Parts: sequence; C-alpha cells; structure tokens
Amino acid sequence: MDCTTEKLRIVYGDATLGVIAPKFRVIFSYRTGGIESLRYDGKEWVYRTPRPTFWRAMTDNDRGCRFHLRSGCWLGADMFLDCTGKRVSIDGKAIALPEPPENNKYTGDETAETVAITYTHTTQTVPATTVAVTYTVTADRIAVHAHFCGKAGLPELPVFGMRFVMPTMATGFDYEGLSGETYPDRKCGGVHGVYHVDGLPVTPYVVPQECGMHMDTDWVAVTRDSVQDNAVHTRTPSTLRFVRDGEKFAFSCLPYTAEEMENATHHEELPPARRTVLCINGAVRGVGGIDSWHTDVEPPYHVSAEQDHDVRFAIVF
Amino acid sequence: MQANMKWLDDPRVFRVGQLDAHSDHSFFAGETDYAAGSSALCQCLDGKWRFAYAVNLAARPAGFYKPDFDFSHFDEIDVPCHIEMAGYDTIHYTNVLYPWEGKQYVRPPFSGLPGAKMDGMFSEAEYSPVGCYVLPFDLAPALRGKRVTIRFEGVEQAMFLWLNGQFIGYAEDTFTPSEFDLTDAIRETGNVLAVQVHKRSSAAFLEDQDFFRFFGIFRSVKLFGLPRLHADDLHVVPDVNLDTLAGRVSVSLKLSGETDGAKADVRVLDGGKCVASAACGVADGCARADIAMPEAVTLWENHNPKLYTLEIRLYSKDGVLTEVVPQRFGFRKIEIAGGIIKFNGKRLILNGVNRHEWSMRGGRVISDADEIWDIECFKRNHINAVRTCHYPDRLSWYRRCDEAGIYMMAEVNLETHGSWFSGPVWNVPGSFPEWEAAVLDRAKTQYETLKNHTAILFWSLGNESYAGEALAKMNAYYKAADPTRLVHYEGVANAPQYKDRISDVESRMYATPEDIRRYLTEEAKKPYLLCEYMHCMGNSLGGFDSYHKLVDEFPAMHGGFIWDYIDQALLVHDEATGRDVLRYGGDFDDRSSEYEFSCNGIVFADRTEKPAIQEVRYFYGLHD
Repeated sequence: MDCTTEKLRIVYGDATLGVIAPKFRVIFSYRTGGIESLRYDGKEWVYRTPRPTFWRAMTDNDRGCRFHLRSGCWLGADMFLDCTGKRVSIDGKAIALPEPPENNKYTGDETAETVAITYTHTTQTVPATTVAVTYTVTADRIAVHAHFCGKAGLPELPVFGMRFVMPTMATGFDYEGLSGETYPDRKCGGVHGVYHVDGLPVTPYVVPQECGMHMDTDWVAVTRDSVQDNAVHTRTPSTLRFVRDGEKFAFSCLPYTAEEMENATHHEELPPARRTVLCINGAVRGVGGIDSWHTDVEPPYHVSAEQDHDVRFAIVF
Repeated sequence: MQANMKWLDDPRVFRVGQLDAHSDHSFFAGETDYAAGSSALCQCLDGKWRFAYAVNLAARPAGFYKPDFDFSHFDEIDVPCHIEMAGYDTIHYTNVLYPWEGKQYVRPPFSGLPGAKMDGMFSEAEYSPVGCYVLPFDLAPALRGKRVTIRFEGVEQAMFLWLNGQFIGYAEDTFTPSEFDLTDAIRETGNVLAVQVHKRSSAAFLEDQDFFRFFGIFRSVKLFGLPRLHADDLHVVPDVNLDTLAGRVSVSLKLSGETDGAKADVRVLDGGKCVASAACGVADGCARADIAMPEAVTLWENHNPKLYTLEIRLYSKDGVLTEVVPQRFGFRKIEIAGGIIKFNGKRLILNGVNRHEWSMRGGRVISDADEIWDIECFKRNHINAVRTCHYPDRLSWYRRCDEAGIYMMAEVNLETHGSWFSGPVWNVPGSFPEWEAAVLDRAKTQYETLKNHTAILFWSLGNESYAGEALAKMNAYYKAADPTRLVHYEGVANAPQYKDRISDVESRMYATPEDIRRYLTEEAKKPYLLCEYMHCMGNSLGGFDSYHKLVDEFPAMHGGFIWDYIDQALLVHDEATGRDVLRYGGDFDDRSSEYEFSCNGIVFADRTEKPAIQEVRYFYGLHD
C-alpha cells in the first residue's frame, strides 16, 4: 500500500470508516460510537472505544458532603452511554453517512486531506443531555473535540472529558504541566515543567478514590512496550502523544477506570493492573479540604452541568 | 495498702502510691557518665515480659502478682507493645462513639443520669479485658543500695503494680509517665514485677480520642537508682528583654535524700563554654539560683533554635559530687499584645500540623527513627508547629522539638467527645466535682513533666470535651502555674459562657473561611487560630489559598494546625493477594467503627508523603 503521499486513504467499510494515514491507521465504528482501532508504530492503541467520561471515583470529601447522593446519576451516565448520532465530512464537506448501501458507491481508491466524524451521545440522565465528539483526521494528527451541552436541572458533574483505554499497561508517561497530583483547588504548589512518571502509579489513599490528576497540561505522551497481539514476540517501546489544541487540559493516566476504583474499599481489591486508562479532561471538580463530613468544595471549583463544557486536544503522530 | 479493683469504676481514684509528677530531666552519677551521655543509674526494662490475657477480672489468673505464683505457663509479650497488636483482643477503631457503643449501656457515675452507676461498671463487666504482665529481674549493679523508682512512660489505660508480692500503686492517664518508689520492696536479685493493665476504667470517659483503642504497656519502662542526693524536680525559667536581649535564667530545684548541708553548683554553657554560674545552698530541700547572662542572648526560634545548656552539680555535705543534671533551654517570649500573639516580639504565624504518634507496624508504639523522620519532614515542608493531639507524646519528642525549633501546643490527655456530641445532654468532666480532680491531675502532670521544654508555647487543655467548671479550673491552674506560656482550648466555643475563663486564644476547628472572616471583622476579642483545619482525609487539601489569604489579611489570624500529620492505618498480611497491605477501622471485625476516618494525614501510614504535601510546602513556605 502506498503510504508515501500526505493524502489520507479512506476505506468506506460496511460497519466502519477506515482512514489510512502515512504514520497511522484509524478505524471509526458506526456501532461502538467512536474509534475502534488506532494502529500506530506497530501497536494497537485502543482497547474499547474511547468515550466521554463524567465520573471520577468519589473522594472521601465527595462522600462526606454527600456529593455522590446529589450527582450519582453521572456514574450511570459514565458507564452506559448511548450513541445517537453520527456525521461524516470529507475535506470539510458533509457527506451522507456511508453505511450500506450508501458505501457501495465508493471504489476503494478515495483519498482526502481531512476526514471528520462526529458522534453524538445521549446521557442516561433525567433530563438527558448530549455530548458531541468530533474526530478530525489529517495526515499527522487526530484532533478531538468533545462538547458537553449543559442542561437546566442536571446535578453537578464530577468531571468532563474523554477516556481512552489502551489494551496493555503503559511503562510510564511524560507530560508538560504541573508537578505532582493537582486539582483545580490544589495546584498552587505545582511547578510547571516536563515530568516523567514511571509506570501507572495509583496514589495509595487507603480507600481507592479519584487520584493522579494533572492540571494545566500542554501535552502527555504515553509509552507502552507490550501488545495483546499474539503474532508479536518482542517488546519495543512506542509512544503516543496527546497535545493541547487550544486550552490546557487536565489528565490522569491510571491502570483503572473510575468504576473499578469506585468499587474497591482497599487497594488489594483492585484487579491486577493490565490496561492504561487515560482521561483527558476539560472540567474537573475540586477536591475540597475544609472538612470531610459536611462542607462542599468551594464554589469556584464546582462543575455545573447546566453549562456547556469542552475539551480539545490532538493525538499527534 | 491493698489494691482495690473498684478503683477502676471510680473517677475520684486515679493515682494511688504514685510519686508526684516532676520534670523530665536526665541525671548522671558523675562526670564520666555525663561525658559519655549514658546514665548507669537507668535500667531499661523493655523486652520480653511474661503475659496472660483475660477477658475480664474474674477470668484473670488469680494471685498472679504473688511471689510464689507459678507463671511458667504465661505467654511472652514485648514491652512496649499494644496487647491487641500482639494478637489478644480485637483491634478497634472508633471515633466519637465510646468503645462500648451498642454493647454495654454505660453512663458516667455522678452524672445524675438514671443509667449512671459506679460499683462494678468496669471491674465486674463481662467484657473488661485485663493484661497480666510479669517480669522477673535483677537490679543492675549501679542501682543496688540506692533508692529505686520505676517509670512507666505509657500504659493504657489503667494499671495496678506489685513488686515481690507487695502492692505498690495504681495509675491512670495513659500518656504521661507513672512513677513509683520501689525502694522498700526491691531486692538486689530475684525480683518479680507484676503489672495488671486494664482496657476499661473510668478513665475511658476521659480518653475518647478519635483513634484506635488499644491497651497495654506501650512505652518504655525504666528503673532509676537515685543518688543519695538527688534532684527530684528542676524548674528552669529563662527570661529575656526583647529590647536589649538581656537574659536571665531562674533555676529551682527540689532535692531529696541527704539534703542537709548540700550545695548546688549551677553553670550556663553556650556551645560548651561556661558563660555564667552560681553556687547555692540548700534549704528545706530546695535550691534556687537566678543567673544573669553576661552578654546579649540569642533568641530561640524556628530557624535558629538556639539552646543553652544548664549544668547543675549537686554536692553532699561532705563535698562529694553526687549528681550531674544537664538541662537545655532557650530564650524566647510569647505574649499577647494588642490582640496579637507575639513571639519574640513579632507576630506568630503557625504553620502547624496535628500529630498523632503512629506507626503502621506498631500503632502508637513508635521509634526514634519515626520521630527523626517526622522532624525532617516538618523541616522540608516548612511546618513550624505541632499540636500533640490529643495527649502528651513520648518524652523524646519534646526534646527533638526543642532542638529543631518546632513550636508546640502541648495537649492534656483529655477528650470526652462521646459525652456531648449529640448535644450537651450529658458531659464529663463538665462541672461535676467528682470528675474535677482527675482532669486537674492530668493538667498538672503534663505541666510538671514538660515545663522545661522551650518548644512548648501553648498548653492545651484537651480536645473536644465541651466546657464547664472543670475545664475552667484547668485553665486557672495553668495560668497560675505558668505565666510564660499561653493557654489554648477550642471546646469553649461550644459553651461560650466560659469564654472569659477559658483559653487565651479564640480557637476553632474546621471553620470555613467565611466564618473566620466574620469573627475577625465583627468579634475579634481574642487572637484567632485554627487548632484543626484542612482535613486531609484521602485526596483532599483543596482550597488552602482561602485560609492563607486570611493570614495575610488579618494580623490576629495566626494560622493553625492541619488535620493531620499521618494516616492511622495498620500493616496487615492479606491472605488473598499475599501482600502486606494497609487496613483501617472495621477491617478487624471491629464494630462500631468509623472505618477510614482515621486516615487524614499529609503523609501516608508508611511515612511517604501524600501528593497534597506540595501544597503544604508551598503555602507554609510563603510564611516561613
């Protein structure tokens, strides 16, 4: 296959839209509501389709101020999300959704400079709201923009962002942002710099809870040296980079989802660490600290679900 | 005198046969020992003791303290160690609720409540665990022929003591030294010491701290051989004129033994060099010296904890040196002026933490290495103050704080949170005369033991014990005994009618920034501090900035003490994963519990720093 040109080759599949770029290949699924496969540097980078995320494992302070009782619906929304719309555009021009039989008109020789696909998700909340996630693929990057539509009557959000689950556990990550674990209301002590983190440490709060957030990040690069592919017999490190596309973002990179963390009362109850869960967030609730039994996080650090939220970044190759 | 098990039930009985509390000074038999820094007069009894556990008094091995008792079937236990951590009785964490919650209906005697009773409340209770300790020992050669005392540095929660079958005494107050004179009962060899330790006593009402409830001998036990002329108590009061830095130090000694015609030689050393001295005679067993420093003194403070050394040499009537007593001290001044706490003439800012003594392996049995790590952690994170929540710590901790320049709030071993949390329906000590003596004794013991520690700036009356006449009398005691320090008590905020009589400072816990601003702008009768704030449970410590701004804005806002320093969790082997893991309340089938609520540290239980500590370092660094 000729991958030397800067054009993207498009594969109008029956259930997916494949895009072949010089350095990567991505498959967008019409069934799963997002990226089903991202091949780069000889590795698969997607375990299950990346999704918008609304939940963080409750902190002791969240429970103390009964935030979980007010905002528990976001746990369900995080776990069960309905993809209710798909749109595709090629070189900036919307096309009819190329599902069968529409895709039968293509030949396999199509190319483009830009392929964009937008998935609309509807939350399992009352009232429901939508999140539109747009992936814009060009020769050297996939730009991601997730837009949360605020709706009156929805309780505050723990977090809003995108969650990527990678098939195997990273050996570590590098990022440019603040030192240490930071939150909107706990980042004054963070020092801007480029940092390396070995492995995927889970902060050992005695009860597993939200942890590992890094505010005000310019980029994060995740390195893996293992794959699930049975035909691969060597370990070679590969790094996938996520860079800001506009505002700085917050991220955490852990071996567990928020739900796995939420379910454990001790660290030894967490499953064996085997995957990489990268959450890139546009809005993060503060952790609070006035007390742990009554007082909420200070008002500036709440995340209203009655307002819109965005997160923008790009996967660069 | 015979031991009476009913003392366990009676709040009016809390010390029997104990020596009076006195300063924690060290003493040496002569120049050689002093130069070597090790006293042959001290015999440490830590190590393996023989032990039997019983669930209540009736089940205890009868007469185990008698000289002919055969204890060959007893187990072995480490001293110091919590009995629970040795595998007897359930490890239990409870916070506010008393440990008998849901198991035994208990109301304090003299409270006037229908359920109040005394006789048998603990001494005859079905569940009232007893630890029977036996230690056979020979007296070390240097102690033979001398008066011998024994010091239990920490026994939770009540103890009876026998030596060679003779009843010696009874003690409560878990966290202060309990000392007894053994001279009349001791032999050079073949002694048998017997200690009966109780988990439940009337002291339980006063020791309802938010922590794991242990019992046993959990700090060192030491024998002391007293020279024929000995300083029982030493009181060093340095004073300094902040304008001229002229310093004076007044020294008072209470002596025992051959005091007739004795003399004391007192020297002040600065870095090994004698800069002042005085010789004084002894009258009525007391000696006093008042020494002026020849040159301007260097003040003791956080960044330059300058200590001078006092050396006292006691000479008997025949001119023989019987004892060398060294005591380090610093010149510093704390006072309230113009509604502001001034330390050495400048506004005091407390970058503090509350510190429980904790080790994930030993519980409240900690090591010198733990204390050294803690001081280093304080230093690298700009922590300049510690509240000894909510009881006196190991004696070595005060010395380390003197040396490191850590400002201390020294707290009495008192918390009765479970007696009023649901509203002050019933509260001890309250204003009940029958409970007063016990808490006053706790205040006095803390003062007498620790009075020479420069690092202590505040005496704290206790924690979360509401307020009544008893607390007011504790306050009055400290004000009368010690004009060189301030008195702190937060609990009066719940009984404001006592505010004129209790606490030199307005202290709060977990006040919101808005509440603090309101006080400082509308009321502001006393300087303000937070004895607990920034509750660092799990992933927390957000919003520090809001407190920091108040410190910048209001001179009367003196900062506070983060809650708290170290997670209280225990290392346990997990069968399912084969790993050593940290466990918390409720993980030992202990009920009623408050589970992970004991884990609020800025360091984890394994003494690694929590991520939030970079925020502490930043904000405390701004006022360092």
